[in-house]
Amino acid sequence: MDAVEYLDLLLKSLLLAGVYAAMAVGMTVIYGVMKIVNLAHAGFLMLGAYFALEMFQRFHVDPILGSVLALPVFFLFGMAVHWLLIRWLPKSDTPTLASLLLMFGFWLVLQNIAYLIWGNEDQSILTPLTLSSVQIGQISIPKVNLVVFAAAVFCMAVLQIVFHRSWFGRSMRALIQNPYAAQIVGVDDQKTARLTFGLGAAFAGFAGGLLGMLFSFSPDFGRPFLLRSFVIIVLGGLESVSGVALGAILLAILETFGINIPLPVYWHGWSFHYLPPSYQQVIPFALLVVVLLILPKGLSSLFNRKWKAA
Amino acid sequence: MRGTLIFIGQNIRRASILALALGGIVTLCTGSSRAAVADDTIKIGVVLPTTGSESKPGQYQKEGIELAIKQINDAGGIMVKSKGKKLKVEEVFYDDGTDSKKSASLTERAMSSDGVVAVLGGYSTALGTAESVMADRYKTPWITTGAGATAIFGKGYQYAFGSLSPVALIGTTSAEFLGSLMDQGKLKKGLKVAMVVENTDHGTDYVQGFTDWSNKHPGYFQIVLNEKFELGATDFSGILQKVKNSHADIFLSDAHLPDYITMHRQYLQNGLHHQMVSYGARGPEANARQALGAGTDYIFAGIWWSNMLPYPQAKKFATDYKAFTGHDVDSWYAAPAYDGMRILAQAIAAAGSLDKTAIRDALKKAQLKDSVLPGQVLKFAANGQSEYPFVITQNKPGNKVDIVFPKDAATGEPVAPNPNK
Repeated sequence: MDAVEYLDLLLKSLLLAGVYAAMAVGMTVIYGVMKIVNLAHAGFLMLGAYFALEMFQRFHVDPILGSVLALPVFFLFGMAVHWLLIRWLPKSDTPTLASLLLMFGFWLVLQNIAYLIWGNEDQSILTPLTLSSVQIGQISIPKVNLVVFAAAVFCMAVLQIVFHRSWFGRSMRALIQNPYAAQIVGVDDQKTARLTFGLGAAFAGFAGGLLGMLFSFSPDFGRPFLLRSFVIIVLGGLESVSGVALGAILLAILETFGINIPLPVYWHGWSFHYLPPSYQQVIPFALLVVVLLILPKGLSSLFNRKWKAA
Repeated sequence: MRGTLIFIGQNIRRASILALALGGIVTLCTGSSRAAVADDTIKIGVVLPTTGSESKPGQYQKEGIELAIKQINDAGGIMVKSKGKKLKVEEVFYDDGTDSKKSASLTERAMSSDGVVAVLGGYSTALGTAESVMADRYKTPWITTGAGATAIFGKGYQYAFGSLSPVALIGTTSAEFLGSLMDQGKLKKGLKVAMVVENTDHGTDYVQGFTDWSNKHPGYFQIVLNEKFELGATDFSGILQKVKNSHADIFLSDAHLPDYITMHRQYLQNGLHHQMVSYGARGPEANARQALGAGTDYIFAGIWWSNMLPYPQAKKFATDYKAFTGHDVDSWYAAPAYDGMRILAQAIAAAGSLDKTAIRDALKKAQLKDSVLPGQVLKFAANGQSEYPFVITQNKPGNKVDIVFPKDAATGEPVAPNPNK
């Protein structure tokens, strides 16, 4: 491969990373504040894709706008789910079996409801953007990926501002850092948790709409993305939004380049071999194991340590 | 402290009850379609995915089997000599959710405790492989209607049968078709071929079939890339980069429907172009054409059945299927399932009893002479797998599909090289 081909792959990895970050961030904020591993995240992603599809087919709303509209709708939906189910869970500093089972059960419920409503057809959102691309020299960049990337980055930036500039964001950060101290200084943990769950669901719905523009989907949609979200938030540190972006970039680059860069192998002498593409899905999980062993608090802990040392 | 524990306990119970209640409601609404068991019926187990990633082909196969059962029952049922009367067929359906472990355990349950005389199902190869081990263990005839990998039938099983022709034949027929285009001068000889196939026995057989033909006919093809991918992958940019770097003239993949849609979407977005493109047995499916529009034009596929086959029984099947399901038979999945049930019914009648070994023996000798499948006769070889010819279809603009090979079944001329830029 020459330099242009590597650049091509790098660009595609970064575009993929934008979508990965948008889909993982919802899970991260929920874990950070509530210590709940939201297994129903895949269900929210799937519903987000169907929401964008329905808006597109019934009201001719562009799927990007449909994804943005999913934000308030899924925010309210998330708050309702919290009021109905989550608030009854016992509080804990670590994920509990009850929360895991509840969220897993709720995912199955969402999946089956989707089967009832939309059946098992593979659905797709086909717009003029879907198959067109921008040609820069020898590099071809899919337009839809560019638009999806821009939307994802914009929403991540808004979330970062909310995190640092609003009362709600400060409450969230306080609960992430020390829930007991936060309550002592007057943070309403129930209200913040409800809003956080709404926010997590809103981002999942938004990301689902974006993913629906890139892939075909059925009620089973979301399963591979759920696993990737896990890897990303473990990579990025379970409580850090900027870490999520970092984790997403690393995962996307490794997945894409992993099968295109020859690796040195010693077998009766040194030689270079490519990783077979069928092992591409092993990469995230191998990475997960390595990070859990070496940096259990994620990549962001590496930078925190450096800053503290400085 | 005790009060807190009780409070926590109540909360967990409350949340669990809510989740269980919701789950229960949905399960009641969507759950198992097992009917009440009657004594004077022939129970046939059907294990297929109607949820999960293979739900669409699974649904089509289920409809094919149910159409055959309806027609058999409308005609009074199957004559069983030992009972002295015709018995109706009762389907016992199991949704395996596209999970091979579940597929195997449901097949085991059907054969061991639910009292079926035979089991149909096993879509796709991965799920069929998982099911196949149960047939001989429980000495119950099993006909896979959706697994075509040769490996399943190379293990000496005595109770396993398949109504799909071997997958290797798709590769062979595809090579033969492309070779015929070279002979006609539509394509140049010696073209470079990039093969990217699913990492299953299905993919292996496809490559084997193509390579065998290519080796026997030197000068036609030069295989420059042979890679595998995991089913259900979401990003193919890395592997497509390899395809691009191979500078191949022909791109051949072997994929399942969701992978075909995702991979071809990224293929088009990356501006790739080849003189001929195929995704193995996938190509004409309405879902793919709806998802990718004109991007699927000129893709060719080697398939087990087409609704354009010129046989009267194939036409009748297409009409009956539409009347039964309310939608057209737009893919091949239903036909092998339909004939799988019909040949089983014929074998039960020939056995004259519901003894599973007698039915197995009858299946070995059975010949379905009005088969809707290419060649019009369905029978099983010594290893249990059927072997009938494939047809090659090509997508044409305006959602049109033509059979383009073999010539005697063709409904249109093949377009080569692919004019899509």
